[in-house]
Amino acid sequence: MKEERNEEPHKSESLMFRQLESIRNVMMDSLMKNYVPFPIDRSVCSAWTDTLKKGGDTIIYTSFMYQLSSLFRAYEKHLSTFARMGGSSKLASLGKFFIKPDKDDLRRGYRILSNISNILQKNGIDHGYLYDDEPYSGGLLLELGMLDQFWEYGSRVLELMKQHGVERVITVDPHTTNAMIRLKEHFNSDLEVSNYLTLIQKYSGNGQYVFHDPCLYTRYNTIGNRIREIASTAGVEFVEDRMVTSRDIGTCCGGPLGPVNMDLSDRIAKYRAEKLLSLAQNVMVACPLCYQNLKPYVSNLKDMAEVIG
Amino acid sequence: MADEIREAKLNVIGNLDSYVKMTMESIESTGGKAYLAKTVADAQEILKKIVGTGKKIVMAKSNVAHEIDTINTLESSGNSVSETDLGAYLIQLSRDESSHIVFPSLHMTREEIGRMLHKELGLQISETSTTEEIVAAVRQLLRKKYMEADIGISGANAISADTGSVVLVENEGNIRIDTVLPPVHIIITGIDKIVPTLNDAMKEAMVQSAYAGLYPPTYLNVTSGPSSTADIELRRVSPATGPKEVHVILLDNGRMEASLDESMKEALLCIKCGRCYFSCPVYRVLGKDWGKQPYGGPTGAMWTAIVNRDYATAEYCTHSGGCREVCPMKINIPKVLEYIKWENIHTH
Repeated sequence: MKEERNEEPHKSESLMFRQLESIRNVMMDSLMKNYVPFPIDRSVCSAWTDTLKKGGDTIIYTSFMYQLSSLFRAYEKHLSTFARMGGSSKLASLGKFFIKPDKDDLRRGYRILSNISNILQKNGIDHGYLYDDEPYSGGLLLELGMLDQFWEYGSRVLELMKQHGVERVITVDPHTTNAMIRLKEHFNSDLEVSNYLTLIQKYSGNGQYVFHDPCLYTRYNTIGNRIREIASTAGVEFVEDRMVTSRDIGTCCGGPLGPVNMDLSDRIAKYRAEKLLSLAQNVMVACPLCYQNLKPYVSNLKDMAEVIG
Repeated sequence: MADEIREAKLNVIGNLDSYVKMTMESIESTGGKAYLAKTVADAQEILKKIVGTGKKIVMAKSNVAHEIDTINTLESSGNSVSETDLGAYLIQLSRDESSHIVFPSLHMTREEIGRMLHKELGLQISETSTTEEIVAAVRQLLRKKYMEADIGISGANAISADTGSVVLVENEGNIRIDTVLPPVHIIITGIDKIVPTLNDAMKEAMVQSAYAGLYPPTYLNVTSGPSSTADIELRRVSPATGPKEVHVILLDNGRMEASLDESMKEALLCIKCGRCYFSCPVYRVLGKDWGKQPYGGPTGAMWTAIVNRDYATAEYCTHSGGCREVCPMKINIPKVLEYIKWENIHTH
C-alpha cells in the first residue's frame, strides 16, 4: 500500500472537544424537547407520504435520515465555526434559520422513502407511520460515543414507541437500524427491529454497479450478504474486487467523521470514491449519509432503493 | 490457534499481577535478570544502569523499546545505538517516524530510500537502485555493526510465565544475531506479552507471523536466560558461546491499570500483528499522522490511550469495523474506541 504523504491533519484537540461538546449540548437540548436533532420543520420530514395510516403496531421508521441527510452534512460543516464562536447557545439560536434541507436532496429522499414503502406493501408488509410524532433515533449520539446521553434519550424513544402502540419498527437506513438494535439490547426491550432489506422477497431491478457497503450493515448487523442476494435475485450485477468491496478490506465512506473533522471526512470519501470508481462508474449505496459523503466525488451514484422496486 | 491464544491471554490479563511475579521468578531461575518498570522513566533508569556508557548497541525493532525512547535515552548517556531491522534502520537514518507496527518504513518509496541512503551514508546507492541492491548494501553495513556490538537489545513477541522464555519471530535474521552475538542481551517488553506457557508463547509467535503477512517465518527464536552448556560431565554452566547476561525489563506503563478495566482490557490481547491497519480508512488516508509513536492504526488508537494517555486519537475512529473483522484476537476495536470516546465526553 502506498498513499500520498499527509501533512499534519490534526486540528487542535481542544477545538475538537469544544465542537463535540457543542453537538452534545445542542442536540440533547433539541432531542429532549422535541425528539429532533436540531431545530427543523417537522412537516418537511413527513411530507413524503399522506397515504399511510397513522401509527399501528408496525411502522416504517425513517428517523429523518433520508429527508435530512444533506442537513446533517451542512450542520456538521458549520460546527467548527460555531465551536470557535464560543458554543452551543449561538448554535442553537442560529440553527433554525441557517440550515435548510437541499430541495433536490429532499425530493430524492421522498422518492426513496415512497419506493421503500411501496416495496414493503408489494411484499404484503402492512405498515403505518408516525408522521409528525416520529422521533429521531439518537444514532449520532451513539456514534460519537455520547453513551450516557444516548441511553437517556433512547429510553424516551422506546417509551414513545410504546405510547403509540408500536411493536415493530421497520428501519430503512443503517444508522437507525444500528441505534435501535443497541437500544433494544441495552434496555432489553420487546420492540422488534427489522430492516426493510431483511423483509422483502419480491423486487426487480437492473444495471451494473459497484456497491459501497454501509459499515453498519455489512460489518455490524450482517445485512451485507442480504444486499448481495437481493441484487442478484433482482437482476442487478455487482462488480466485486476483494481489495475494494470485501467485508474485511472495504472501508467506510468517512461520513461518521463529519462532526469530528470535516476535512478528514472528505479526504476519506475521496479516497473511497477513487477505489470504487476504479471498478465501475455506477456506484450504489444503501445509506443516506454514505450518499451525501460520496456525492461530490461520484457522478453516477444511486441508493439501492432507487434501483430496486 | 488464535482462539487458544485469546483464551490464554485473557487468563493472564485477569491475573496479571500474579503472572508478572511468576514470570520474573522464572526469568531469574534461568539465570536471567528480571526488572519490573512501572513507568517509562523507571524503565529508562533501569536500562541506563544496565548499559552504562561507551557501549556499541545493536537493536532489533521493538515497539516497547520505542515506547521508552531507548535510542535517545542510551545515546544521551554516551552510547551508540543502531537499529538492525531494515525498516526501523531506515526510519532511524532518515529521522522519520514509523508508519506501521510491523513495517515501519511502509510510507517510504524505494526511490526515496535509495536517495536517503546515499545522502546519509554515502553508499553507492541511488534512486535507481533495485530493492535487492539496497538490501545487499545495508546487509554489509549491519554485519559489521553486529561484530562490534557490546549489547543487543530486542523486544518480545511473547514471554512465558512458566519458563521465563522470550519468543521472537522474524525473517531478516537480525533478531537472531542481535540476541546471540553480543555478550549482553537486553529484552524490553510489556507485561501484556506474558502468556502462561512456553507452548502458548510459540503459538502466539506463529499467529503473529501469519497475520503480519509473512508466513512461514524464516526464524523463530527462543531465549531462556544466558547461554549455557552441560557438555562437560553433564554439569550445566553459563555462559557458553552466546550472551553471558540476559536482562528482561517488563514495562507496565498503564497496562496493569488497563487490565483492571473491563472495557480496556480487550486492548491488551493485541499481538501487534498490524493487520488491522490495512482495513482502516483513517489509517489509509492519514498513515503515521494518526496516533502517537510507536502505536498507530486502529490498535494504536487503543494503545495510545493506554501508554500515552492520549484519548483524542480514538475520536477519529469511523467505526468502519474492518479492524474487528481481521483481528486474530477478535478484539472488538471499535467497541473499545467507543468506550474511550465515552470517557472523553465524560472528562470534557
